[in-house]
Amino acid sequence: MIQKQLTRERAGSWSWILQAMTGLLLLVLLGLHMVAQHFMVKGGLRDYAAVVEWLSNPFIFLIEIVFLIVVTWHALLGVRAVVFDLGLKPQTERRVDVALTVLGIITVAYGIWLSATIVAQGQTLIAAAG
Amino acid sequence: MSAEVKPKPADRSPGQWFDVRGRRVGLWAYVVMRLSAAGLVLYLFLHLGILSQLAQGPAAWDGFVAIAKSPVILVLDVVLIVGMLAHGLNGLRLTLIGLGIGIPRHKTMLWVFLALTVLLSALSALAIFAETK
Repeated sequence: MIQKQLTRERAGSWSWILQAMTGLLLLVLLGLHMVAQHFMVKGGLRDYAAVVEWLSNPFIFLIEIVFLIVVTWHALLGVRAVVFDLGLKPQTERRVDVALTVLGIITVAYGIWLSATIVAQGQTLIAAAG
Repeated sequence: MSAEVKPKPADRSPGQWFDVRGRRVGLWAYVVMRLSAAGLVLYLFLHLGILSQLAQGPAAWDGFVAIAKSPVILVLDVVLIVGMLAHGLNGLRLTLIGLGIGIPRHKTMLWVFLALTVLLSALSALAIFAETK
């Protein structure tokens, strides 16, 4: 029995390689995130003060930003593969690429802004209360 | 192995993407992959959106934390973890196959990864519900 091709994306294409590489990175980064942010924490979620303290560690901050970039990239590359399976004109494909790139940049920028805001605001609040 | 089949464009219309009738187990993996992918993408943006509560100060965030510990949310957390494990481990399987690793034993690999998904999901569920008691 010859199976119909399930997807246009072929193993070895640049998008496949990027998806595999970000996926492998995510096994590590998501694993770290789940353990350090949730499983290690009593009750599964830090309260506000604990989040600020945790994220104020530059190393943790950096890891979370790297995680954000890799997970956003992987997610949007996945959306791209699914959308391209619809069978689009080359011009439409280019527009999808532009739209997803813009969405990716906005997402990462938002995440960096949010993380920086949490640390800055949180330290001010905690110092004022302290 | 039969003669190599030349790859051709996907010829399943979107309505057929999730039709697994008469298909092999690999197709089930494909369906799980696409469904979990859709869920995980939605969850990613939901998660990033909810984290904005942290910019609203302690009352907003700690209020959310209280809600997030309700049993319904915890069950959804388990669903999320099952999705992540299924997607991640199946993705690893596809990557290995794509790189030409373990092809003669691809069936065994599929069952091993499935077993791992079930095992890690069960452990996560236990951790989630044991901890919050």
